Amino acid sequence: MNKIFSRNPNDLVDRYLQAVHFWLPKSHRQEDLIAELGEDLRSQIEEKESVLGHPLEAAEMAAILKQCGSPMMVAGRLGPKRHLIGPPLFPIYEFVLKMVLLWILVPVFIFIVGPVNLANAGGDWGSAVVSTLASLWSGLFIAAGIVTLVFAIVERTSAQVGAECKWDPLKLPPVRKDERKPSMLKAVCELGFGCFGLVWLLLLPHYPFMILGPAALFLKAAPLWHTFYIPVLLLSTLGLLRSAVTLARPQWTWFPPLSQLLHSALTLILLSYLIHAVTRTPSGYPFVVLKDAVRDSRHYIQIAAIVNISILISVASTWLGLCIAAIVQTWEFLKYLRKRNSHAHRAASVSAQ
Amino acid sequence: MYHTVCVTYYMANGTASPEVLENLKLELRRGCLIVAVLAQLRTEQYGYTLRKALADDGLAIDEGTLYPLLRRLETQGLLVSQWREEDKRNKRFYRLSKPGEKILTQLLEEWQNINTSLNKILQEA
Repeated sequence: MNKIFSRNPNDLVDRYLQAVHFWLPKSHRQEDLIAELGEDLRSQIEEKESVLGHPLEAAEMAAILKQCGSPMMVAGRLGPKRHLIGPPLFPIYEFVLKMVLLWILVPVFIFIVGPVNLANAGGDWGSAVVSTLASLWSGLFIAAGIVTLVFAIVERTSAQVGAECKWDPLKLPPVRKDERKPSMLKAVCELGFGCFGLVWLLLLPHYPFMILGPAALFLKAAPLWHTFYIPVLLLSTLGLLRSAVTLARPQWTWFPPLSQLLHSALTLILLSYLIHAVTRTPSGYPFVVLKDAVRDSRHYIQIAAIVNISILISVASTWLGLCIAAIVQTWEFLKYLRKRNSHAHRAASVSAQ
Repeated sequence: MYHTVCVTYYMANGTASPEVLENLKLELRRGCLIVAVLAQLRTEQYGYTLRKALADDGLAIDEGTLYPLLRRLETQGLLVSQWREEDKRNKRFYRLSKPGEKILTQLLEEWQNINTSLNKILQEA
């Protein structure tokens, strides 16, 4: 192997090469690269010296090295082109990162961590907000780090197994037809989750910890639920029936959009009544109240107030979301009807010909 | 010709930044550089003289681009290299290999075809 570095510590070229060597990845060819770069630089210096007619001063030599670029930059150009997450995976990475950070982590902090911190703050709401924001900030960094790490591993491993070669054009999903067909998978999932939700709702009065968690020790459902529990149960059963009919009668293409719209409308009506009833509750604790044993504890009163506000915000957000969903569903249903009419019209004109 | 087209576009449009032009020029140069390097190495040369020869002919290339390119071409079997002492210094000499000669001929043919097509397109426009 060639001698890369001379023993002269004042040699600027050697110091420069040493710096480039430091930044180069540890591959077996880097000694070669450094030797070749050194030879190139020495040739440049030699040529300059022959033009000027004297050995180069340190400043003149430095000018040549400066023109070559900083050691880190040169090492970057000389080394192999590397990336943590390559272009094929990057769109999926970006999507997952957005989902995790904006649609999972932020809502969890707003609706769960934040209220819990406020409840345990003992009146010091300012420091509770600051602590929640600090936790959110570090949580965002940790989540982003984990997602990036997972994708970096996928990038390395998928490159090794050649996942792209396994792609089969014959397995592409069929082209979606104009007419909407109810998704069986969606209906099965809805039915499954619906059953689970109904059982959960039926168990709630007997096991309040299933919704309140440890707070069930000192909180109980407010009297308002005596009025609204049965309508909520009925609505849930109706949703279950809707999924069952969609599954049993897939040929009824009109049923899923219409029943979904009706279900949304009924839910909206129920939520509107609920919000109306809340505004008329004199106690200020419409959803949950303190159990008799802890009725006078100031700490628990604050927690009950926060839980009530959190539930109210959730109910109001759901109401708003449902309004938007109902508008979209109405539009979708009208579009479906228009398409269906135009198909029927076309079929009639074809048979007339 | 390409430069004129780009500058005309930039001046007429007034929206594209100079970086866009620089990036397009880089993209255009990338393929041409490989052909130029292969063509220069029909006669044996070492890195610095190769860089100088290319620069003298109007295709300046920095060390960070040339040496990885030479390694890549050598790995692909288009070049052969040898460390040899010259003027009391060790230098790595490169020259075109037999498969490299064949590939260069094919690349030059391809380049001629592209040039002909481009000229035709530009005349039609």
